[in-house]
Amino acid sequence: MKEEACPRRVLVVGLGNPDRGDDGIGPLVVKKLTGLLPADVVIATPPADVLALMAEWMDFDALIFVDAAAPLTTPGRIHRFDLATTELPRDATLTSSHALGLAETIGLARVLQQAPQDIIVYAVEGACFAGDGPITPEVAAAAAEVADRVVAEVMSLRRISQRT
Amino acid sequence: MATRTIRVDYLARVEGEGALDLYISDDRLVGAALRIFEPPRFFEAFLRGRGYIETPDIVARICGICPIAYQMSAVHAIENAFGAKIGGQLRALRRLIYCGEWIESHALHVVMLHAPDFLGYKDAIAMARDHGDVVRNGLSLKKTGNDLIRLLGGREIHPVNVKPGGFYRVPQRSELEPIAEKLKEAKDQAIHLVRWVATFPFPEFERDYEFVALRHPDEYPFNEGSIVSNRDIDIDIADYESEFEERHVAHSTALHSVLKRRGPYLVGPLARYALNFDRLPSSVQELAAEAGLSAVCNNPFRSIVIRAIEIVYACDEALRLIDAYERPDVAAAPIEPRAAVGFGCTEAPRGICWHRYTFEADGTIRTARIVPPTAQNQPSIEADLLAVAAPLVSETDDVIRGHCEQSIRNYDPCISCSTHFLKLSVHRT
Repeated sequence: MKEEACPRRVLVVGLGNPDRGDDGIGPLVVKKLTGLLPADVVIATPPADVLALMAEWMDFDALIFVDAAAPLTTPGRIHRFDLATTELPRDATLTSSHALGLAETIGLARVLQQAPQDIIVYAVEGACFAGDGPITPEVAAAAAEVADRVVAEVMSLRRISQRT
Repeated sequence: MATRTIRVDYLARVEGEGALDLYISDDRLVGAALRIFEPPRFFEAFLRGRGYIETPDIVARICGICPIAYQMSAVHAIENAFGAKIGGQLRALRRLIYCGEWIESHALHVVMLHAPDFLGYKDAIAMARDHGDVVRNGLSLKKTGNDLIRLLGGREIHPVNVKPGGFYRVPQRSELEPIAEKLKEAKDQAIHLVRWVATFPFPEFERDYEFVALRHPDEYPFNEGSIVSNRDIDIDIADYESEFEERHVAHSTALHSVLKRRGPYLVGPLARYALNFDRLPSSVQELAAEAGLSAVCNNPFRSIVIRAIEIVYACDEALRLIDAYERPDVAAAPIEPRAAVGFGCTEAPRGICWHRYTFEADGTIRTARIVPPTAQNQPSIEADLLAVAAPLVSETDDVIRGHCEQSIRNYDPCISCSTHFLKLSVHRT
């Protein structure tokens, strides 16, 4: 690992719909990141499907996504996936003709060589995704920890050289 | 008696929640049921009591991929009820934003959802390993369509700039110039796409469809026209209910639309193309001939070629509209509500989308009726499935399932819109 003269370009993406309960964890984390990251770090909350963002991914050296995950064990539990070493779980088949999911889009971007190698995904287990429903307290409580971990992650990713 | 049941649970690459049951008795296919179990969405009910001005923003929420279709049918119905006729550049802008929707919707379906079927790939990600440039171009086409919708509609999903009478804001000519450059590139990409999909191995399969589409005196239809068929129908959109009706069926939360006199009919690209081939520019007609299409195509598997042709047309038309664009003095014509009934029918990417509203004197919606294209195509999908699966009954369930899924995807069905995704069950007795 060597230090580089210029910081590497990092994109942080908060995915989800803030009007659908715990699906709003991505935008909530992005809100908490305001003022905590260097100016050269781009933060995005895409309004549409993540596929539309893909064309811009090659402008960055590293990507960090924050997204909600389906209930598995405990609401608010934080999962970290380093896609250099692990696969993001995805359904065996695409289930929508309107939009690809994050895992499918990253998979497609990698096949098309339109994604950097360094991709980190934070997934927070949700409990309720109802329209107009409030974010559950356990999930909201996880937002501060995820924001702290994203800040540390960004600082590390800006410094490290591309992993091979 | 030998019984066999093939069930497709949650068909992939189709929007919405549904399943397919095939019934085979003594090696004979006796039934096909497209079960749609996506919960009803009640849009027609919760439009009641809302103001007419809210309608385009509410109905846009019916679909994320074709919100313009719902918005356009709604605003035309409102203007029809209130005696307003929108012409000039406002009408042209409506046609332009519809071009954006056809480009993004067709590009997504042709490249990402349907092409893998013909080439034996599980999905577009697997296909991208061997056909990366095609997938890149497909994504670029989709992006151009989305960009056009965002420019005119404010955002690409559930646009917010459409209103009865026109738009909340209309663009300066200079705002359209960058998208024109993208559309020129998109047109070339679409022509390549037509030539690529034309090389696919298509099943030898045809049905004698009754095609139903809009027909306009001068234009390939988007927003206006009479409702015509290749049999004897040529009616004003207000007379839709004289020829067509929706029926409840036990296995679907979506209503089935049928011709009262003859049953299933087909809407969408195959129908639109067959009934309006003479309205396509000669360059697009020549491209269709190069792709092996005559003026009428009865093979639903070749609908992928017609969708690609329609992308070329939409790019061409968008460029023509931009070239002729002059910013109108007002963003919207004035609308005066009155107690009335109004009808709207426009060509969504998947076929005609028919709306009827009755209004109170102050423009409050008293009743609403929305007939989306996939609901209209459901009986025809089931008839296709019977015909496609019948010669395959001795094949394995997996083989039958694969052919049926591909056959359903010929329709680019949007089950969410029509509820109204898919599960295949083959029941053998």
